[in-house]
Amino acid sequence: MAYSVTWYVETQGKIHMCISLLVGIPLIFFSSNGFCIDSSSFSSKDVTSDSDFDSYSSVSSFYCSSNKYIMKSYSEKYESLQDPDFQEFVDQELPLGCGKFLPDNLNLVLRHSVLHRSLVGEGSHRHLSSSIRFSFNLESTSELRPHECDVILIERLPSGVYADPFELQHLLQRGVFSDIAVFGDANLESPSFLSNRSAVEINMDIDLSILSGHKNEVVIKVELPLHARYAPLSESGYWDVKFGEPDLFMRCSVEGKAHNQNSVEGKSHNQCCLYMIKNDDDQVQHGTILWKIPSGIKAHAGVVYVFTFVSAFLSSLLIVLTSIFYTNINGSKNSKQS
Amino acid sequence: MAFMSFSSLIVLSAIFRFILILYGEWQDTHMEVRYTDIDYLVFSDAASLMTSGKSPFQRSTYRYSPLLAFLLIPNSILHPTWGKFIFSASDLLVGLFIRTILKLRGVPENLCTVSVSVWLLNPFTFTIGTRGNCEPVVCAMVLWIFICLMNGRLFQAAIWYGLIVHFRIYPIIYALPILLILDPHVFRTRHRPVLQNWTQSKRNSPWSFSVTRLADLFSPWFIMKSILTRERILFGLVSGSVFLFCTAFFYYLYGWDFLHEALLYHLTRTDPRHNFSIYFYHIYLQYERKLMVVEKLISFLPQLIVQLVLILKFAQDLPFCCFVQTVAFVAFNKVITAQYFVWFFCLLPLILSSSNMKLKWKGLSCAILWVGAQLHWLMWGYLLEFKGKNVFLQLWMASILFLAANTYLMISVIQHHRYFPVFSRVENTSDHVRKLQ
Repeated sequence: MAYSVTWYVETQGKIHMCISLLVGIPLIFFSSNGFCIDSSSFSSKDVTSDSDFDSYSSVSSFYCSSNKYIMKSYSEKYESLQDPDFQEFVDQELPLGCGKFLPDNLNLVLRHSVLHRSLVGEGSHRHLSSSIRFSFNLESTSELRPHECDVILIERLPSGVYADPFELQHLLQRGVFSDIAVFGDANLESPSFLSNRSAVEINMDIDLSILSGHKNEVVIKVELPLHARYAPLSESGYWDVKFGEPDLFMRCSVEGKAHNQNSVEGKSHNQCCLYMIKNDDDQVQHGTILWKIPSGIKAHAGVVYVFTFVSAFLSSLLIVLTSIFYTNINGSKNSKQS
Repeated sequence: MAFMSFSSLIVLSAIFRFILILYGEWQDTHMEVRYTDIDYLVFSDAASLMTSGKSPFQRSTYRYSPLLAFLLIPNSILHPTWGKFIFSASDLLVGLFIRTILKLRGVPENLCTVSVSVWLLNPFTFTIGTRGNCEPVVCAMVLWIFICLMNGRLFQAAIWYGLIVHFRIYPIIYALPILLILDPHVFRTRHRPVLQNWTQSKRNSPWSFSVTRLADLFSPWFIMKSILTRERILFGLVSGSVFLFCTAFFYYLYGWDFLHEALLYHLTRTDPRHNFSIYFYHIYLQYERKLMVVEKLISFLPQLIVQLVLILKFAQDLPFCCFVQTVAFVAFNKVITAQYFVWFFCLLPLILSSSNMKLKWKGLSCAILWVGAQLHWLMWGYLLEFKGKNVFLQLWMASILFLAANTYLMISVIQHHRYFPVFSRVENTSDHVRKLQ
């Protein structure tokens, strides 16, 4: 069942994760702003990439806006979250790179590897704990406006699991999270077989200017609270939910000189670069994350059906009989006395 | 409770609630687990949206009347705890109204104070208001309707009734007993109805009076002449108009969102997630297929039959009727959450004085069984929700046990109840009325 409505929560606050820099320099800047909840209908508004400079510039700036999320653009184009659709969106719709100002080779020197990824806790409310290491080559970042970079982490949640935007809001208020947005099914209460998948997009500000040396690494730890929806019925009593890898991007503002003929020679532009941070690992270092969600057992249906209604009728019958044969205490006393 | 007067009880309760609200603020700021009810944040967000001229229904899971969001607008202007103070004040008001009703019925002072303390000192009720649950407002309004009726203020009672049904739909179950109590033999416009006195009712049995009413209900002539009385038509028209006006007004302001979230959602709600209801697992197991109309009717029948029998039998003893009706309504509902228990907790003190159930051991056995069945359910609920064990079957059986505990409680309460109609018949008391005039 496809819902035609999505919701998202955008938040800005203090940084949400325990972030440690292996080089030893703290590099996350904290920002604090408001919180808003919005809901919007999906539409077929296309985001297109054009070779024309102005066109490219506008699309690129679109993603540089602090209020704009990659998943919001996705949700405007696609009705529901599907892995092939998302891949197509990243490959064809996202304006990756820096257009025609800067060499596009920056993405070659951005790498990440997932050091650790696990589900913490038991039951229906758990935390998805991820520890991710980023590698930067600073030589290629000389033209970036170093204090205006942010790493974007997108968790495409599997079916049957959701993140509660209102809980994330509370964590934000407590300074646990930074910018975060949740996209997906509006109904938090519906079971997984009636729900669409959702995704969480987390933005983390990173100041590259304080990094030094030839190669630097940053390790971030993300703890995302997640909840299980009611699972489809099964024979075994448990529904397996498998988590995929997170998607990582870096977005930076750059000061560059346009070399395009259509633009004024020598004029500097504040431009936006969006890069996908590719996975460094040739092979996954951690096992598949599996969440076994208890599910209703089909074989119970008959017994439950019969005994639910039998108990309801027996119970109502007892109350009805008690009421009908109720005699007032005083009345019975009086009759005895007489 | 001779050691404490009513005024001391109210002051002590007020101080205690104030401290709890302050503590709640501290816990919310310093601890991972919030003291504040999640619904309170929903109300506050909705109120904040309303303040900025938007629809409160833009806040997902806001499924209440816009009046509630309107009431909490100061949350975003004055202080976020405003609503908690409103709800806790309503909670104290419930205590005051319980005493007023009991006094009107001639219940002795010491029994009044004991009954009020059952509400004010109940850990469940004082936490519910201070955590930001709106139910005390509903309870206060229901009790105020009783007071209005007892004082013969029919028009005011009708206005409040229309409003409360708009605000929280469940008091619709009180419509029939209220209409029945507006009996032409006891309730006449321009005459203050004569209330039965507690001590008098202990001596005289009004039982035959009630049986007459039941028999009358099946007479067509009686239906024409007695059922469609001026008072009943007035109450129905006024309360219905208020309800329709509120619905139309908010539909005009907020459209389909209002109708769906605040009204239709509650009428059609079937929740497959685990809750105290015996139906939850059945709903979950059948959720993938559409239930047939016959199945829906079958599941509604026990509720309907029990409600009708209780109303026809006990309507003239309005507080008692509403109490057993509410317990039964919650017990047979398709969704039961703990906050629904407040609906009958506020009526419990009204019936204690007319029960001959001894605390030792019948009273205690009822309380222990009811609380024990809940704790038993909560244990399985904990294993399912927080330990991830598949205990759906055990949890469903715990729900059936809880229904059994509710049934035992209702049967015990009914069997030990001394029938205590609110009003006396006009014929029997004409001399008394003349004296009053």
